[in-house]
Amino acid sequence: MIEITGLKKRFGQQEILKGIDLTIEEGEVIALIGRSGCGKSTLLRCINFLEEYHAGTISMDGVELWYRCDKNGNRVRRSTAEIAACRQLMGVVFQQFNLFPHMTALQNVCLGPRYSQKVKPDLAESIGRKVLTDVGLAEKVDAYPNYLSGGQQQRVAIARALAMRAKVLLLDEITSALDPQLVGEVEDVIRNLTHEGITMILVTHSMSLAREVSHRIAFIDDGLICEIGTPEQVLDRPSSPKLNEFLSI
Amino acid sequence: MNSNDLIMLLKASGYSITLSVGAITGGTILATLLVLLAFSPSRILQFIYRVCMWVIRGTPWLVIAMLVFLSLHGMSIRIGRYYAGWLALSICFSSLFAEVIRGAIIAIPETVFDSTKSLALPRLIVLRKVLIPLVLRQGLPPYINVCVMTVKGSSILSVIGVWELTYASREIIERNLTVFQTLFAAAAIYFVICFILDRLGRNLETRLAARGFAHDLAEGKQND
Amino acid sequence: MTDWIGKYYLIEYIQACGWAAVLAVAATLGGVVWAGALFFFTTVFGRIGRVAVAAYVQIFRNTPVLLPIYLVYFGFPMIGIVWPAAVCGCFAITLQQGAYVSEIFRGSYKSIDRNLYDAAQSIGLSGWQIFSKITVPQVIVYSLPSLGSQVVLILKDTSLLSAITVAELMMQAKRTQEATGAIYWPFLMAAAMYLFLTLFIDYFFARAQKAVRWR
Repeated sequence: MIEITGLKKRFGQQEILKGIDLTIEEGEVIALIGRSGCGKSTLLRCINFLEEYHAGTISMDGVELWYRCDKNGNRVRRSTAEIAACRQLMGVVFQQFNLFPHMTALQNVCLGPRYSQKVKPDLAESIGRKVLTDVGLAEKVDAYPNYLSGGQQQRVAIARALAMRAKVLLLDEITSALDPQLVGEVEDVIRNLTHEGITMILVTHSMSLAREVSHRIAFIDDGLICEIGTPEQVLDRPSSPKLNEFLSI
Repeated sequence: MNSNDLIMLLKASGYSITLSVGAITGGTILATLLVLLAFSPSRILQFIYRVCMWVIRGTPWLVIAMLVFLSLHGMSIRIGRYYAGWLALSICFSSLFAEVIRGAIIAIPETVFDSTKSLALPRLIVLRKVLIPLVLRQGLPPYINVCVMTVKGSSILSVIGVWELTYASREIIERNLTVFQTLFAAAAIYFVICFILDRLGRNLETRLAARGFAHDLAEGKQND
Repeated sequence: MTDWIGKYYLIEYIQACGWAAVLAVAATLGGVVWAGALFFFTTVFGRIGRVAVAAYVQIFRNTPVLLPIYLVYFGFPMIGIVWPAAVCGCFAITLQQGAYVSEIFRGSYKSIDRNLYDAAQSIGLSGWQIFSKITVPQVIVYSLPSLGSQVVLILKDTSLLSAITVAELMMQAKRTQEATGAIYWPFLMAAAMYLFLTLFIDYFFARAQKAVRWR
C-alpha cells in the first residue's frame, strides 16, 4: 500500500537517511525501533512530508506522493494543494501532542474534516464526537487541552488523526512525553485500533508494545533498515550484532 | 529648506538632547525616590506609590507639562520655559523609570537572598557585589527603552512653546512650507539619536553579560 | 471661583471626552488593522517582507509621533489630499502605532509552539487556513496584556492632536482656560477625564483576558 524506495535525507552535511526501502501492506502494523538519532522519527516525518527529502520516492497505491517529474524529467515538488490532499490520506500523532490550545477537544478534532476536507459542519461534528467516544473521551468534548491530563491530550491527538478517516496512521513516540502511569490509557487506544485493521506505522521505544501490536518490526540503524521481520524474528532471534547490542541494553 | 534652516535644526537638536539628558537624570532621581515608597514597609506609602504610578501613567504628558508650567507660574517661580519643560519631562517619565527599577528589583530571585544570608555577607557587600549588578543587568534593556521614549517625548514640549527640534521644524515649515524636507531631516536627527542610544544600551548589555551576569538572571527569570 | 463648574463647561468637557474616546478608538482600530497587515507581510512575503517591515518599524519607533502628525496635516494638502484635522491625526497615529503593535504581535507569534504548525500541516490545512485558524487567534490572545497598555498610550497620544486644532480634551482645557481665566481646574478636569478613560480601558482589557477560557 505504501512503497518507499531509496529514501535519502540530509541535514546540512549530515546524512540522516541513507536509502530506505520499505513496503507496507494494507492493514499492516509496522513498528520502527532504533537508537535515538538513528533516523526513525525523520523517516516518519518524511512520509508525511513534514521534512523534505533529497532522493527516493514515497508512493501510495502506486501513485507517487510529494514529488513528481516535470516535462524535462526533473524532480519537482507537487503543488501545495496536491500536498494538502495527499496529507489527508494519513493521520499523524506527535510525541508532544501538539493540540491547538485555543480550541476545545471537539474543535481540535473537527478542524481537519471541516476545513481541509470541506465536510459539512454538522457531519464534521458527529464524526468528531464519534472518534472522541472511541478513544474514551466522550465527556471531555468541550474541555480545552490545558485542562486535560497528558494521557487525555494524547488521546485527543489520536482522535484528531482518526477524524481525517485516513488510510494510514503515523505514530511518533506517542508515549514518550507521558508520565509512566498515563502510558497505559494511550497504549490501550492503540491496541483497540489494531483490531479495526488500520494501517499503522509507529515509532516507539517500548519493545513490549512493538511486540504486542505490530505485524513486523524494522530496526533502523545509522539511516538504514538494518533488520526487518516478525516480532519473534527481530526481538527473539536477532541476526545482526548491532540489533543484539541494542536489545540487550 | 536652505542651509540656514539645517543649521537651525541642528542647533535645536542640541536643545532636544540636553532636555532629554536632563529629563533622564531628573526622572531617574525622582523614580528612585518613588521606588523607595514602593518598598517601604508602610502600607500607606505603598498605596501612595501605586496612586502616583496610576495617575502619571494615565495622564497625557502634555497635560502634566501644562500643570507643571501653571504651578510654577502660580508659585511665581520664573525659571523660563526650557527649565520648566525639563522639570515637566522629568515628572512625566519618572513613573516609567520607577517601574523599570521596581521590576528589576522584583526579578531578583529569592534564592539570592538565601545564599547571601547563608554566607553571612555584610549588607554593604551584598548591595555592592550582588544586588546592584543584578538590578543593572536586569533593568538595563528596559531602562534604555525608556530613555529612547524620553528623547521622543521631549518633542511634546514644542506644543507648549519650548524651543527644541520639533518646535524649530514647525517654525521652518510655517515660514517656507518645505514640509517634507524639514520633517524628514528632523526625523533623521531623532532617528540617529535614538538609534545611537539603543546601540549604546546593547553594547553595555553585552559587556555586562560577558562578566557573567547573564546566567544568574536567566535562571531568575524562570523562577517567576 | 464657584461658578466654574457651571453646567455649560461640564457638558462641553463630556463632549470633548467623548471625542478623545472616539479618536482613541479610531486610532486603535487603525493601528491594530495596520499592524495586522504588517504582521501578515512578514509571515507571508518571506525575507523581503521581513526586511521592509523591520525598516518601517525601526523608523517609526525611533521618531516622535508629532512628526507623522505634522507630516500628514501639513504635507498631505500639498499633494492634493485635504482631510479634516481629526482624520489627519488619527491616520498619523495609526501609522506609528502600527509599528508598535506589529512588534507586540511579533512577540506573541514567537511564543506560539512551532510544533503546532507540523500538526496543522499534517491535517492538511492550507497556508491561509493555518494563518487564520491557528496563528491569528493565538496571537490576539497572547497580545492582550501589552495591547492594553498600548491603548492607554494611544489615548495619551490623542492629546497631541490639539497641536493641529482637533477639539479634544486638551483643546477643551485650553479654551476653558482662555474663556474663564481660571488657572488650574481646566487642566485638572482634563486630567481627571483622561484618568477615567484609562480606568475604562484597563477594565475592558482585564475583562477580555478573563473571557479567554483556554489559558
